[in-house]
Amino acid sequence: MSEDFNWLDYAEPEESAPEPPRRRRRFAPRLPRLPQLRRPARPRLPRLPSLPALRRRSALPPAQRSATDLISDQAERPLDELDERLQLLRERSVDSAQGAATPQPALYDVDEVLATPEVARKPGGIISAVALSKAQERQVELLKDIVGGAQADEGGDRRVKPSRALFSLGAAPRILASVMLFLVAALPFASSDFSQGDLPPADFPAERSGPAAVYNALDTLSRGEYALVALEYGPTAAGELDAFAELVLRQLFARGAKPLIVSSNPIAIARAQNIIRRLAPAEASAAGGLRAGLDYHILRYLPGGSLGLRELSENFGAVARVSHKGALTGLELDSLDDLAAIALIAERADDLRNWAEQVATELRQTRLLAFTGYSAAPLAQVYADSADAIAGVIIGYRDAFTYGEKLQREFSTVNPAPTQPTVIPTATATTPVYDEPTATVAPSMTVPALVTDLPPPTPEPPLADTTPISDLPPATVDPGLRATDPSAESGQAQAERPLASATPLPSATATLATMRIVEVISPREVRIRRGPTTVDDILRLARAGDRFEALGANADASWYKIALGDGLEGWIAEFLVEAKTVTVAEFVASQAEASARLPDENYHLRWDFIVSLGKNRPRIYQAPAPPASDSAAFVLNRDRSAEIPRLAAMTLGTIAAALVIALGNVFYAFGALRSRRRVSNDG
Amino acid sequence: MGAPGLSAFVAFAVGVTTILSLLLGDNPALFGDQPGSGELARRLAAPGDVLLQLAVIVVAISLIIGIANLLYVHVGRLARGRFYSAVVLASFAFTIFWYVTRRGDTSLLEAVQVPIESALAALLFLSLALGGARVLQKRADLWGLLFVAVTLIALLGSLPLAELAPLKAWNDWLMAVPVSAGARAILLGIALGAVVTGLRALLGQDRSYRG
Repeated sequence: MSEDFNWLDYAEPEESAPEPPRRRRRFAPRLPRLPQLRRPARPRLPRLPSLPALRRRSALPPAQRSATDLISDQAERPLDELDERLQLLRERSVDSAQGAATPQPALYDVDEVLATPEVARKPGGIISAVALSKAQERQVELLKDIVGGAQADEGGDRRVKPSRALFSLGAAPRILASVMLFLVAALPFASSDFSQGDLPPADFPAERSGPAAVYNALDTLSRGEYALVALEYGPTAAGELDAFAELVLRQLFARGAKPLIVSSNPIAIARAQNIIRRLAPAEASAAGGLRAGLDYHILRYLPGGSLGLRELSENFGAVARVSHKGALTGLELDSLDDLAAIALIAERADDLRNWAEQVATELRQTRLLAFTGYSAAPLAQVYADSADAIAGVIIGYRDAFTYGEKLQREFSTVNPAPTQPTVIPTATATTPVYDEPTATVAPSMTVPALVTDLPPPTPEPPLADTTPISDLPPATVDPGLRATDPSAESGQAQAERPLASATPLPSATATLATMRIVEVISPREVRIRRGPTTVDDILRLARAGDRFEALGANADASWYKIALGDGLEGWIAEFLVEAKTVTVAEFVASQAEASARLPDENYHLRWDFIVSLGKNRPRIYQAPAPPASDSAAFVLNRDRSAEIPRLAAMTLGTIAAALVIALGNVFYAFGALRSRRRVSNDG
Repeated sequence: MGAPGLSAFVAFAVGVTTILSLLLGDNPALFGDQPGSGELARRLAAPGDVLLQLAVIVVAISLIIGIANLLYVHVGRLARGRFYSAVVLASFAFTIFWYVTRRGDTSLLEAVQVPIESALAALLFLSLALGGARVLQKRADLWGLLFVAVTLIALLGSLPLAELAPLKAWNDWLMAVPVSAGARAILLGIALGAVVTGLRALLGQDRSYRG
């Protein structure tokens, strides 16, 4: 070791430095570089002191100088002044760095006490590189237990790496297994010959009370009641949970209830309209399809996860007042207990937990009905068993199939489907299967007795409010306006009101009659209020061109009393409208044209309304939708052609996955046993 | 009072106000049958409602800021010639253009987004099956064997095959006892963690709100 060794110029010998592994080039095509964007000006940093200033600092007393200055001024100490231990250590490090031939002891100054054990080395793989005796293996295990979690990767990993010759087949097994899994899952869609397993039961078993409670809770809803439908899932779970969403909505529409769709997932909000369109063909409703804002509402997005759900439970009235497009919904709901039911369709356990904690705990009357996939099933079942506010939980695609069959069967008894149940005799079963017209049952398929085991259908009362048109009171047309006391309620007014209202029915006498109406002429949206003053609650908004039947006016004729349909009456300022006399037929035509416009497109949220939300909290009332003529069509028009192949694919896919897991682990277990046996034989 | 003390005080005040408002507000039964108890309960609920709505608005605005930041980052990457950033920006612009010109048509969502994400979710089936096949390669011990055995029982027990009825009984027991116990333990852990985290934030021990 020379005295003039320069620490700064020292570098590791080049031959000892291994070459870094070459990085695999990733596929990342590059576009030609574009001119650099102009970056925003950065704040200027304070100027650094100049060099003379730094030099002047050295003249300062040490108490006024920084530690960095003091250290930088330190001159390198001569080696002679170093402690003897430091000199020895320096010499040793320099010798080892320069590749001294003398081997260093494994443990410094301890070799005399603890001798390095003799380890037999032999060429081979990683496992067999060091052959330990039995006693040494026991010592190694003891050390591993003592060290515990500090096991190094190479020493503590219990991976048994099989030898390359026999077990290393590269990626071929994985590719083969993937192809097999894919084919097995796809085969049932190609041919019904590959269908295996029993179909789900046609009704929920008696020992599972939860699903039946969920079904009954939605099935007892009456016309015009509101039910909250929470779509808490994204596209990844659409394949499994879209079935639940469609079934719940079909059941609600068939019962005449109005779903209010809400979600804390923005994609679910965007997809809600598409789901509605999928299940509402034009023939399913008398009005030519479901109408947003009348037959259903899509409420605004709930940001913030659990925070948004807390707001939903605390301020449901405010949430329900605005649609997902920012339009007014006209819903007069104060709390979640004003709803008839809450159906939660959740993908993740966290979503279900948030709803159970933030929403279900606030419910006093309404029950939460949970629908979820298999991944969230354990947590959902815990909440369903322990929380009173959760009526039950329905899990997975098989439950969805049962739910749909139960729904279809019960509505078929009321209004038979266009396609009658098809009885397909099979080799193993002589009982009829589901009334699926396109379903073919393979001979290997075990078909449970379903329809024949059911009790005979009992006729149910008609669903719709089927008041015949002939039973309605005859139209009496009042050609002039009447002075009406604003405080008087509509008892007398309704008796004298013409038949033609928001949804008038044309008839031979009514078509020829004339009636007094008011037509909105204001270019801005106008407010229809409960009374003839500006402090009365807002019932609805109207825009230019909207027509209403005029029922009367206040004393100074500054406000018109108008009919809003379904017995609801409101007041509108005189200067905003123009009074006209039109025929009933003309009025009917104009109302039909107006109803074709979606309310979401008609009435947009305005800033003054936002301001008014914080002041008076005005009540806005939306008239209920006219009843659909054929409610059962919502259920019976369901396309079920892909359901049985999907169930078969689930069964076959599960079998194939179990097979892959079993075979793979047997393979690797055999390799591990073989390696250990070889090591013990060598030892 | 310095900035750290001020932020801690604001967090503490907002947190305590919200908690008290949620606990006492809109619950007239807490105040007995005294006249005006309903009005008092409503007044107590008001601060919590306001703070809650403010928080929701802030979260919503942060979402918009996130979108703007995403665009800003990818514009910068595009200037450096990154191809995938060009794809992101082009897709964003095309989706906006489609939605605006087609009057709110979201069929692009159903035709592109849902199939792609569903396909990615389906790949999870293959990944889990292949991962499950290599359990004993990674861990050839008793726990690995137990994991494989339970996985096979859960898979085969869920099959609608009459031949596997005994496994179905085992599967039901697994779901009813160990899995349910584990789920309850997770819920208890989450609840305790939420309480501790909330207390730490309220007491100023955890000042993550300082950014």
